[in-house]
Amino acid sequence: MSTTAGTPTKAPGVYPKSTVYRGRSGQWAFVMHRITGFLVFFFLLLHIVDVSLLNVHHGTTYNEVHRLYGNILLRLFEVGLLFGLVFHSLNGLRIVMIDFFPGAVRNQRNLFSVVIGLTVLFTVIGGVIIVKPFFSGS
Amino acid sequence: MASRVQDRPSPVAAGPGLERRPRQNFETWSWFFMRVSGLILIFLALIHFSLTHLVHDVAKTDTSFVSHRWNNPLWRVYDWTLLALGLMHGVNGLRLITDDYVRAPAKRAVTKAVLYAGTFTLFAYGTLTIITYGRY
Repeated sequence: MSTTAGTPTKAPGVYPKSTVYRGRSGQWAFVMHRITGFLVFFFLLLHIVDVSLLNVHHGTTYNEVHRLYGNILLRLFEVGLLFGLVFHSLNGLRIVMIDFFPGAVRNQRNLFSVVIGLTVLFTVIGGVIIVKPFFSGS
Repeated sequence: MASRVQDRPSPVAAGPGLERRPRQNFETWSWFFMRVSGLILIFLALIHFSLTHLVHDVAKTDTSFVSHRWNNPLWRVYDWTLLALGLMHGVNGLRLITDDYVRAPAKRAVTKAVLYAGTFTLFAYGTLTIITYGRY
C-alpha cells in the first residue's frame, strides 16, 4: 500500500482493499443489467430515427442508410446488440425468479452462471449467422 | 412447520411481517410494470431481432422487405407494441438510473425533463412512421 504525500495517517481499524462494493456475482449482474439496458434503450432511439427515413424520398434514403448495416463494423455492432438483448432478457428472468420464488434466491449464484453461459452461447451462434454473409459475399 | 419458515433466509419470502402489506404507491406499480413488460418484451424483442438479423440477412431488409411485412396490419400492431413497451420499459429504467446517480435536485429535474421530452418525441415520431408508411 503506497501512501501519497499529505495523506493523514490512517487510524487503526479494518480497511477494505478497494471501495467497490463486493456483492460478488449479484453485483456484477446489477452493473451489467444497467449497462445493457442503457445501451439497448439508446439503440432503440437510433432505430426509430433510421426507420423513420422510410417516409423520406420514397424510401431511397432509408435504403442508402440501411445498406450501412451490411458493413462489417455495423454487423459487429449488431452482435453487440444481440449480446445486450440476450443478457438483459435472461438476467431479467433471473430477477423475476428471485422476486417471486424463494428457491431462486438460494440458487442465485448458479442462476447467474446459467445466465452468463446461455448469453455467451446465443451470442456466439447468432454472431456467426450475422457476420457470415459479409464474408460469403451475399 | 415453524422450521420450514426458518429454512427460508429470503427477505422476500412470506414472513410474519408481511401480513400487513405496505400501501402500494407509484414505485410498487413501477416495479410490477418492469416485471410484466420485461417478460412480454423478451418475446417481442427477441423474435423481432431474430427475424431481421438471423432468419433474414440484415442487408436484405430494405424498403421492399418492410412494405411486404407492413402490408399486414398485424405486423404494424406488433411493431408498435414493441415500440411503446420498449420505450416505457426503457424510460422507467433510465428514471431509476437518474435517481441513483444525479443527486442535485436541479440537475435531476433537467435530466428527467430531457429524458421524458426526448422519449415522448421519438415515441410520437415512431408511431407516425408506423401509421403513415405507404399511405401518405
